[in-house]
Amino acid sequence: MYGRGIYALQDVSLVVDKGDFVFLTGPSGAGKSTLLRLLLRQDLPTEGQVKVAGRDLAKLTPGQAQSYRRGIGFVFQDFKLIATKTVLENVGLVPRVLGATSVQQQRRTFQVLKWLGLQHRMNAYPMELSGGEQQRVAIARSLVNEPTLILADEPTGNLDPDLSFEIMNLFRDINARGTTVVVATHDRELIRHVGRRVFTLDHGHLVHTA
Amino acid sequence: MTLHWLTYCLEEAFGSLWRQRGSAILSAITIAAAFFVLGGFLFATVNLDRVLARWSAAAEFSIYLRDDITQDQRVALNKLLEEHPAVASRDYVSKADAASRFRRDFPDLAEGFADLPQNPLPASIEARLRPDRSDPTTLEAFAGRLREAPGVADVRFDRRWLERLGSIVTGLRWAGWLLGGVLLCAAVLTVATVVRLALHSRRDEVEIMQLMGAPISLLRGPLVLEGLIQGGLGAVVALIALGTAYLVVRPQLPAAFGPLADPGLIAFLPASLSVLLVLGGMAVGSMGGYLAARHVR
Repeated sequence: MYGRGIYALQDVSLVVDKGDFVFLTGPSGAGKSTLLRLLLRQDLPTEGQVKVAGRDLAKLTPGQAQSYRRGIGFVFQDFKLIATKTVLENVGLVPRVLGATSVQQQRRTFQVLKWLGLQHRMNAYPMELSGGEQQRVAIARSLVNEPTLILADEPTGNLDPDLSFEIMNLFRDINARGTTVVVATHDRELIRHVGRRVFTLDHGHLVHTA
Repeated sequence: MTLHWLTYCLEEAFGSLWRQRGSAILSAITIAAAFFVLGGFLFATVNLDRVLARWSAAAEFSIYLRDDITQDQRVALNKLLEEHPAVASRDYVSKADAASRFRRDFPDLAEGFADLPQNPLPASIEARLRPDRSDPTTLEAFAGRLREAPGVADVRFDRRWLERLGSIVTGLRWAGWLLGGVLLCAAVLTVATVVRLALHSRRDEVEIMQLMGAPISLLRGPLVLEGLIQGGLGAVVALIALGTAYLVVRPQLPAAFGPLADPGLIAFLPASLSVLLVLGGMAVGSMGGYLAARHVR
């Protein structure tokens, strides 16, 4: 709940199993992004619990919260790439920040970029990339640390339909390797294309599960 | 992890300083100005202390003798000085010695002095006092006795005006610290503002790193180091400026200070103080960087 009695989410209870691929859908303002922020521990619930892998996120210390986030990959609608760093540096930032050696960092970064078909764009800056390429770089960044959970908030919001399907296929492949994927989107076509479990939110309430 | 942390933070700090080099240079100049003033006051007080120490070690009683002093009067005067517990040592300065000193200390007046029909300068006895026997009342009383001794023209007691000068130097030192303190506060705020601007321009990057789970020390470290580098650089620039000013002014010292003190006493800041200034600059810069870094949570 935000101030003045405004509920972003109310009476929402759902379970996502390990290795699942689920969609969060609903109109704008339904609470999709809020739920993802709770899962990322950017916000804390005013009531109830958010548990990931058996851990109550509200009970984590700041240091434990940072450690928890290292196991999660996050993909934004607006990509959030660092304009002053190349593709390689953007993706390599994660292992670098988390203490990998230069050799480990470069090897892992190149592996991920190659898997996503971006190895030929390693030295390009974000401004030099297409929308689809930028989103793939963002996905690469979310994957490079081999997370157990990927959270994607409207990852295809800025992309055309063909690219959107391409990105969703990528997420399907990622999920096939064992990573739990949670995608927030209002695009029903995409949901239909991927065909996975769907939680529908509306005005902060969970109205449908499919 | 520590070496990795340091490497990462240094790379990010230098990268950020390079990208914002205009404002970083302005910040370093502000710190340089503050440390130039502080360094200037330190230079003045260190050298004044040195001169005062030299003067304090010199004669504290100058007993000027009448030209017609007899041998018996001279012996009685010497005995008076020898027996007083406050007198550590004494030296006799003849009229000829006095004249030599005058020509050395006032070279411009030497020619006029040579034209005089006779040497007007009196002979004197310079008495140095023991530091542990420097009760002013006792010494004043002794100076009075010496003035009344036969054969004595006058007695000059240096201690009082040396103490006054010492007080002025202390006052100068406090004024320097006060002014320096104000300037340093301004420098800290300037660095904090510049680093905060840099943080603002990198807010997306910081947000991403927070979401990745980067330790808070990795987020704040580069900002503190940015401040440290700016502060250190500013202090080094201040030292170079002070050194240059000293080299420019140094040839003028004999003309300015000749009669008052040996110009050879005036020296640049000792190495220890110079190092302290640079460390101080780094500390000031780090403080500014930390003030800005506190906004990263």
